[in-house]
Amino acid sequence: MDQRDFRGTGQPTDEGITRGVVTIVVVGVALGVAFNWLGLASRPAWGLPWIGEDKLAALESLEEIVPAVETPAPTGVYGQIDDPMAVGLGADVGELPEIPELDRPVEIHLEAVKQLFDAGAAVIIDAREREEFDAGHIAGALSMPFDEVTAEPERMENLSTGGKPIVAYCGGGTCEVSLGLAWELIAAGKTRVVVYVGGFSEWSEAGYPVEDGPSSGS
Amino acid sequence: MQWLDHPRVVRACQVSLGVLFAAAALAKLGDLGSFATQVHNYRIVPVATENLLALTLPWIELIAALALILNVRARAGAVVITAMLAVFTVGVIVAMSRGLNFECGCFGTFDATRVGLGKVAQNLAMLALGGVAARRPR
Repeated sequence: MDQRDFRGTGQPTDEGITRGVVTIVVVGVALGVAFNWLGLASRPAWGLPWIGEDKLAALESLEEIVPAVETPAPTGVYGQIDDPMAVGLGADVGELPEIPELDRPVEIHLEAVKQLFDAGAAVIIDAREREEFDAGHIAGALSMPFDEVTAEPERMENLSTGGKPIVAYCGGGTCEVSLGLAWELIAAGKTRVVVYVGGFSEWSEAGYPVEDGPSSGS
Repeated sequence: MQWLDHPRVVRACQVSLGVLFAAAALAKLGDLGSFATQVHNYRIVPVATENLLALTLPWIELIAALALILNVRARAGAVVITAMLAVFTVGVIVAMSRGLNFECGCFGTFDATRVGLGKVAQNLAMLALGGVAARRPR
């Protein structure tokens, strides 16, 4: 049977659709695989690894790290967070939270951030875009938009923390730029980096100090 | 609703959907690394398959969009795109229900729209377009 509609529309009939769908998917997958193969073969490579080895490695190493962090837990506040790329620091901190030296970011919650903030015991960094920062940020935070600093890694290397841990945050929810920035900071040689997951929305809703305008530092 | 089957109506829906998806596919192909990160953000597929999905999905989009624009297997293209849209919409709703908040990645890094009701509404409108584009003109 002819697959074509004879009314001059050039549209195949219902029977031809399944075959067309399969063709499109197969050709698409083949092109994607071929395109990436060319990319991986090029020097420098612009293709992606077929499997995200870095993410899988992070998942594996997490199993080793989480118990190691949980056992000594001086404040009993460590735990695993939703992202396989990080380990977590929970809520309900009684005393000033100790941020461990780790090769990966740790998650931190509102009350712990507030304690660090009150004690001036952390460098707080806003990972959002500059316009979002200017519109309002945690008082005293530095602006390091994720997209900007990944282009200029020396800004992270030159960041002076005075021995304090770094708290990275973004808009809240599970916005990803704070976690991304945390990983970049660790890659730049910082070791005590935490991600404040609640972010600016939670902080400002709690009525804690905020300010607007451009960053004075960094 | 017979006018929905009119060849010109169907064709108009096919071309507009094709142009939209060709743009979306090219935007993703321009920065596959970022798109792979956006796929990771949804946390829906196993980590090991995220890159493979990010590598092939934009090409399927592009071929389907070209089918729609060039009127070669256009109805099949419409079916592929409508099915993808349905999956994307479910992905956005699942992400919302988990309280996730990130850029949807629907148009690569060109579109900073975050997952949310606005994106769901946008997808539903495109789904309607896809429903007409997949109809048999008469």
